[in-house]
Amino acid sequence: MPSPAHDEILTTITEIVAAELGVPVSELPPQRDLREVEGADSVKILRSVAKIERRYDIEMDDDDVFSLHCLDDAAAVIAKTLAQSRA
Amino acid sequence: MTAQEGGAGPEGVTAVGGGVGWEGGAAGPDQDGDDFVDLPWEALVDHNCFGCSPKNLSGLRLRFSPHPDGLVTRFRLGRAFESYPGVVHGGILSTICDEAMGNLLVLRTGKSAFTVTLRMRFVSPLKVDHEYSCVARLRPEESRMGLEHAAAEILGPTGRPMATATGVYKPVSMDRARDHLVLTDDAAGLLQGALSESSSKQNGA
Repeated sequence: MPSPAHDEILTTITEIVAAELGVPVSELPPQRDLREVEGADSVKILRSVAKIERRYDIEMDDDDVFSLHCLDDAAAVIAKTLAQSRA
Repeated sequence: MTAQEGGAGPEGVTAVGGGVGWEGGAAGPDQDGDDFVDLPWEALVDHNCFGCSPKNLSGLRLRFSPHPDGLVTRFRLGRAFESYPGVVHGGILSTICDEAMGNLLVLRTGKSAFTVTLRMRFVSPLKVDHEYSCVARLRPEESRMGLEHAAAEILGPTGRPMATATGVYKPVSMDRARDHLVLTDDAAGLLQGALSESSSKQNGA
């Protein structure tokens, strides 16, 4: 099965994170620093990570998870992780 | 008198439904409709696993039910398993995830599953005396070199992930496992039969 493209991943994770943070998708452009989103905290971000890992059946490295700043970063990490797990 | 000798067990163990897991030892549906699976270890008279033996009054006494993803256990932990005040100890949560993933593999493969790697991510603290569930699933696409990968999630009452786990396991046949287990020949025979039977049931044979 081919890995989903970056934009496809971005769309999916934006929906997951928006639902967890309780904000509209439109408030989460790819480059927005997640720490600046009102209501965002570490628990909600980690919960989003848990749902994303479940969605893609992946295990992201802790170093990657704790260095994420925006959804664009997250999509890149997910694409990398998917590529590694399917290599 | 110790808990094993028939005492009440440590604080929290007798609180609700046996404190953790569910009361009683027989398989079959309980009052909430959970249909518990028989674990092969129950064939052993002195089965005393800290995680899943109904006879170990100091243990978690977890019981497992089929789940669309694999296996689920529901639990409510008393103060005997406390860390910070009112918060469940994370080490116990690791044990629960390990139990769920390990027993799922045992049921699917018909072999003992020894833990090789266990990685936890704690998302949010769990409260003492509140009910949670743990769902385990296999990750066959990750499995290679004779090692099986699994994942587990501890979920809150609304289904929110509270903790996640991934594990790597080495399934070991009874002949090999006997190098590590303390079993009589009779017990090993009983266990081998129960493992094969559980695996056949799980895999629909």
